[in-house]
Amino acid sequence: MARIPSAPPADRFRASGSRRRFPYLFTAVFAASVLFSLRAAQVDPRRLLEGDALGNVAKFVRGMFPPRLDGEFLGLMARPAIETVQISVMGTAIAVALGVPLGLLATSSLTWRGVLHERTSRTGRWLLGFAPYAAARAVLSVFRAIPEYVWAFMFVRAVGLGPFAGVLAIGVAYGGMLGKVYSEILENVSPRPLETLRAAGASRLGVALYGLVPQALPNVIAYTLYRWECAIRASAILGFVGAGGLGQQIELSMRMFQFDEVLTLLAILFVLVASVDVLSGRIRGWVA
Amino acid sequence: MYELAGIRKVFADGSVALEDLSLRVGPGEHVAFIGPSGAGKTTLFRILNLTLRPTAGTLIFEGQDVAGLSDAGLRRVRTRIGTIYQQQNLVGRLRVVHNVLAGHLGRWSTATALASLVRPRDVAGAGRALEQVGMPEKLWARTDELSGGQQQRVAIARVLVQDPDVILADEPVSAVDPSLAVSIVTLLRDLSHESRKTLLMNLHSVDLALGYFPRIVGVRDGRVRFDLSPDRVGPELLAELYAGHRDEERQLERLRDGQNPLGAACRPLPGFRK
Amino acid sequence: MGGLRARAAAARPGRTAPLLAGAGLAALLAWSWHGTAVDLPGLFGGEGMRQVATYVAGLFPPDLSARTWRDAAAGAVETFAISLIGSLLAVGLGLPLSLLATRTLLYRGILFEGRRPGPGARTARVALYAAGKALLNLLRTIPEIVWALIFVFMVGLGPFPGVLALGFHTGGVLGKLFGEVLEDVDPAPLEALQATGASRFGILVYGVLPQALPQFVSYALYRWEVNIRAAAMLGFVGAGGLGQRIHIAISLFQEHQLLTLILAIYAIVTLVDALSAYLRARLV
Repeated sequence: MARIPSAPPADRFRASGSRRRFPYLFTAVFAASVLFSLRAAQVDPRRLLEGDALGNVAKFVRGMFPPRLDGEFLGLMARPAIETVQISVMGTAIAVALGVPLGLLATSSLTWRGVLHERTSRTGRWLLGFAPYAAARAVLSVFRAIPEYVWAFMFVRAVGLGPFAGVLAIGVAYGGMLGKVYSEILENVSPRPLETLRAAGASRLGVALYGLVPQALPNVIAYTLYRWECAIRASAILGFVGAGGLGQQIELSMRMFQFDEVLTLLAILFVLVASVDVLSGRIRGWVA
Repeated sequence: MYELAGIRKVFADGSVALEDLSLRVGPGEHVAFIGPSGAGKTTLFRILNLTLRPTAGTLIFEGQDVAGLSDAGLRRVRTRIGTIYQQQNLVGRLRVVHNVLAGHLGRWSTATALASLVRPRDVAGAGRALEQVGMPEKLWARTDELSGGQQQRVAIARVLVQDPDVILADEPVSAVDPSLAVSIVTLLRDLSHESRKTLLMNLHSVDLALGYFPRIVGVRDGRVRFDLSPDRVGPELLAELYAGHRDEERQLERLRDGQNPLGAACRPLPGFRK
Repeated sequence: MGGLRARAAAARPGRTAPLLAGAGLAALLAWSWHGTAVDLPGLFGGEGMRQVATYVAGLFPPDLSARTWRDAAAGAVETFAISLIGSLLAVGLGLPLSLLATRTLLYRGILFEGRRPGPGARTARVALYAAGKALLNLLRTIPEIVWALIFVFMVGLGPFPGVLALGFHTGGVLGKLFGEVLEDVDPAPLEALQATGASRFGILVYGVLPQALPQFVSYALYRWEVNIRAAAMLGFVGAGGLGQRIHIAISLFQEHQLLTLILAIYAIVTLVDALSAYLRARLV
């Protein structure tokens, strides 16, 4: 009769003590943070049913119908709708313009580590490679950790109300995200072809053009397009802080309790977002 | 056990997989199905285990026409039919014990099924089944860490836990190496013989079919071409069955030349029960 | 012969397609440049740059007095709580709804080849799928900040409407993503489970979910990273957290406090990004 263990043998997970403890530790910490957060966020479902809550929703929903579809209103809204698209395009363009150089500098295999740098002197690597690398990483981290609407607020201060502030906000915040992802894509490029090129006597630029770029480009394009999809949503939201586009109109209509206009604007936003998604998916299909 | 009459299956793309197929299998019988790839054997097995509905014809299981069954009735019949696939069709991320115990799912209530994922029920049963297939020590392993042959034995253990009246094995050995193939076929044969289960097996290799089964059904182009005992399946019949399918014809040549592709490994592997 | 010529043509792609794409992109950029009143010379030229420099210089030094410090810490904790509970609510809403957005669990694919469903049953299931998809689209299309306005309208100011806003919007996003994962799982194990006589539910928990779980966790963590940023924004419409405090600081021209709050956002967002990366490596 062979031995039939009746419980998971603990030794499978005893490879490292931390690995065995992890599930328990994780559950405890997770439960504690959820309980704490429930209190900190003042979660209280009863408030959804209390007082005027449901009445207000009813008022809101009733107010949305019928949506406002007269020619005058739609004509007025065409401009902000177009502006939303333009902000997303221009914002993504600036994000690419910021993300590419910063992303290249933030790629360790390009600046100071790996096959391209085996013959550079140590001090040279540190001064010309590591210092700019660390600086670029720091800048990218600040760019992407501060949300786009905080940027928008500051740019509204700097360049005044209007779409340009939105463009800059998306450009900076998404530049930080693009730069980080570009550097990750470049780091993950297979080093084999680079070594071969290097061995064949190619210059650093040659290695970059013939080894790195062809391997990385499809991913870079796909991720940039994905960010554009996010940018169209963001550009609609930035209007709430005065950076142009549909958001500004939604905010105005909400404040004036014109819920029929809100419904129309949300529908326009849906159409814009869906068309950008479809278009971007198409382009990704061609590229991949 | 099974009575099939005039079974026809046409897929949505218009291709005809089975054409006017009739067959009768008695309880406890062992039957091997052979034929070139694309003959419709896998489709036939999916119809036999009631996961695919024939376009026309009647399928009678244990005297009951399955066409009129409700969802629940269909599930009850399915619990009595165990299937082993060419690919193991296991969930790699689950532990072996859960994949084996999935054989109980047709009987377990929703609550039991859920609870067992947290704290496995019938660990002893799963352990016994794994012992029968020769690897009790793998009970708590993650399934995707096992080799292909080991996973196939997990799939067999699942069928043992299910304890059906019929075992359908659809090319169970075409993804494992030849020496293991023999031990898996003998294992299935012996297990179903002991518990008087009906065993139907799709086989790619003719020699395994002829060597281990008392009844051979040749299928080609969705029809039964012959249904004979192995001693009456001669080279001409086989040549006709596989005509135009180059790989299989080569296999026949080797057989005719007296070469055994399975070599000397035709003994059960250590670790398998006799 | 024709095949050979076709292959030769494929080896040397036409030059017009890339040119056209480039021209289209250039036109799109020019159009957007014009429409958004981009004024780079104005930004980098003398006057604009001076304005930006003055503004940035005015932010320094950050206000590190105990009061502001406490305020920033409280705001950061509140923002963290909103993002965490909001994301969990989103999983709670998105998971059941995603089952309605999965055709392979409702009416087509390998689980539905064994028996012809009645015409009424099938129509009902297709309708259920359409309704599920529509609901997810509705949840997803309305931006978090609009949800926040709606919930502030319903339950008043504070972090709770922020939680609801994140939960509803992200619930729609996750429901769609989860549904795509569920439709993509390997059908072979499902077929095997079905053949044992397992019920739909048994197939779901033993076959579908174990395959989908790593992706679910990954997507949920990713949305948590998005939500910590969004949680900080929702304060602008009165839904608590750092956003509310930033809004006040900006309105009252308290530039030094503003910088402290921005630093707090930086810290909490970076913390959540790191936590999420760690958990993804650990759990997936």
